[in-house]
Amino acid sequence: MKFGKLTAASFGLALGLTGLLGAASAQDAPQKKYKIYLSLSYSGNNWMSETANIIKALAKTPPYDKMVELKEVISGTDPQAQIAAYESMIDAKADGVISFPISPTALNRVVKRGCDRGVKFFMYDSTVTERCAYNVSYISAGFGENTAQELVNSLGGKGKIFMVRGVPGTSVDKRHYEGAMHIFSKYPGIKVVSEYYGYWDDRIAQQETAKALAAHPDVDGIWSELGEAGTLNAVVDRGGKLMPIVGENMNGFRQGFLNEDYKARGLKGVSSGSPPATAGYAFKLMMEILTGKRDLEPVNIEYPLPWARSDEMKPCQGEAIADGCNVFDAKLVPQGFSTVIYDPALLPEINLQSALTGEPVPGMTIQPLPKEIVKAANEPGINCNRCDPPADLYKLTTATATVQP
Amino acid sequence: MTVEATLEAPTDTRRAARFSGEALTAMGLFALSAGMVAASPLISPALGSWSQIYTILLLVSFLLVISFGQGLVILTGGLDLSVGSVMMLGGVLTTTWIGGDSATFWGVMPVVLAFGAGIGALNGIGVAMVGIPPFIMTMGVGIVTASLALGYTGGTTLGAAPPPLLLLMKGDILGAPSVIVFVLLFCLVAWTLQSRTTFGRKVYAIGSSRRAARIAGVPIVSTTILVYATSGLCATLSGAMLVGYSNGATLRMGDPYLLPSIAAVVVGGSSILGGSGNFVNTICGALFLATLESLIAASGLGQGWRTILSGLIIVGALLVQSGWISGVFASVARRVRGAGG
Repeated sequence: MKFGKLTAASFGLALGLTGLLGAASAQDAPQKKYKIYLSLSYSGNNWMSETANIIKALAKTPPYDKMVELKEVISGTDPQAQIAAYESMIDAKADGVISFPISPTALNRVVKRGCDRGVKFFMYDSTVTERCAYNVSYISAGFGENTAQELVNSLGGKGKIFMVRGVPGTSVDKRHYEGAMHIFSKYPGIKVVSEYYGYWDDRIAQQETAKALAAHPDVDGIWSELGEAGTLNAVVDRGGKLMPIVGENMNGFRQGFLNEDYKARGLKGVSSGSPPATAGYAFKLMMEILTGKRDLEPVNIEYPLPWARSDEMKPCQGEAIADGCNVFDAKLVPQGFSTVIYDPALLPEINLQSALTGEPVPGMTIQPLPKEIVKAANEPGINCNRCDPPADLYKLTTATATVQP
Repeated sequence: MTVEATLEAPTDTRRAARFSGEALTAMGLFALSAGMVAASPLISPALGSWSQIYTILLLVSFLLVISFGQGLVILTGGLDLSVGSVMMLGGVLTTTWIGGDSATFWGVMPVVLAFGAGIGALNGIGVAMVGIPPFIMTMGVGIVTASLALGYTGGTTLGAAPPPLLLLMKGDILGAPSVIVFVLLFCLVAWTLQSRTTFGRKVYAIGSSRRAARIAGVPIVSTTILVYATSGLCATLSGAMLVGYSNGATLRMGDPYLLPSIAAVVVGGSSILGGSGNFVNTICGALFLATLESLIAASGLGQGWRTILSGLIIVGALLVQSGWISGVFASVARRVRGAGG
């Protein structure tokens, strides 16, 4: 833990220094420069660096390359470090802060202080309950309940299942789990025989799944949060029959859906969950508001839930993202790479290279966002404080029940 | 004749007592692990089978390799806090320098291992030549190593596992899973190195008393550097194995192994202060921890209770081992006898 934090701090310092140097050389541009800070947690997984790369690539894509001065700060996994980072960004007179917030509540006070000084806060993927911040997230789109229903459908309403959870104690894990349990508890035939934490890490998910398989070799299906590429590895290693698995967007998981041998052995499911593209959408939205192209008060915005069934996998040819392809060659990206980095309407500026390196796509310019935004539902403790959730909080939005309880 | 007998007797009993104490701990832990596996069908009917034992042995292999190096360092009275980062760097270099290419594997893998050993040697130089406390030195090197990997990869760890490593972790050799054969061989070599070579004796000598070792002419600096280099090598090897198992590397892959690597050594009955311990004991310690983990995972308890239970059982094992509990029983028995009389 300590290591992660210190390393992240030293790396952040190094990045800060390069940022300063870069800023100094670009001083001669006449246009007003927006001072934007990117504040990250650090988890060491691919997901976080993909989101940072997408934002960096957008900030270098014309016309933003002449308008934006972007600095990145990585704050480890402790809220205190991120509070300190926000404080110094406010003092440095930031125009905007785009951030993956570490805690939904611990940052509220400092965010409020920043809003009062005119700083715009844009949170992506994870959220804060402070009303003056913009939350842009897929979390209210219902990953838990929709994937759970899909699993129930493919099991015909009965069977033994594993649940691979995320990081214990996080609001995101809690929301996903409660959404899924809302569905599973409606079907008496569905039996959760093992429930364990994969810490959103494919290596840990793999080892924990291997242990669970030793105790319950007759499992019929698996519901998995991020780390599902490892979950799949574990059942493939075990040999014999595979089963329906629902999980997030790791490339290794989606590759599994393309494997004819796996499919013949019973693998099917859906790939859904947290899209790195949210970060790019949030950044573009913030820039439209800062530059006066859009008038929008702080609000919770929903990013659409990625949804690709096992029979909808379409391999991309090389690095190009075209014709609705949704899975990359295993040689180009690690198995833990989150595939949803692009959206034809919301984020057409990004390709595989930019998500891997933070460099802009040559010849690309920033495309305007659609006028309409989707407001997110109230999620107490996640995107609002002392608020009432809608009565149909866990209603299905993407999957439909084909099996009745 | 009577004189000879009285002269020899004390040496013999002392040695016998030392060995039987360690051997007892090892046998106890092994019996406990075997007992847990045998009793596990009570938790879930599918348990207690070969597949459960195989899962335990597969998952313990990373810990065993990393604990050997850690055990050597602890034996000298040190502590290696860089093993997690070095393990991660080993994994990252394996996927980036070698990747999915079998052709370069045999040429480059030794370079990766040497790189890890070099980082370990750096620890040894700081500790033995400069006199920096091991705790601080290895922590510093660990942070630098982790930052190097982060800077080098830019956050995204590219590359896949080399096919020979996939074969090692998932294939068979002579009808047996190759990882188990490999771990058995590793344990044999490691045990020989620690208990049957002059190098091993020097390590014990340094751990028992640095001053006495110096007076006896043990090359303290070079031996200490070698010990830390071995630890770096083992951590790197363990990282490469983890890459073979999970087909890729991440920047946090070593973190979950740092504390267990120390725990396996201490639970096995070695002194955290150095000078005593045996690799067979560490093996049994690691097996015990892995079996415990796998059983608790199957128990269906909530995450909070699992962690509490695993912590309590480890503390309990250490209490039994330290003789504290038997001491309490003995004193209670004495008092009861005293009161009765």
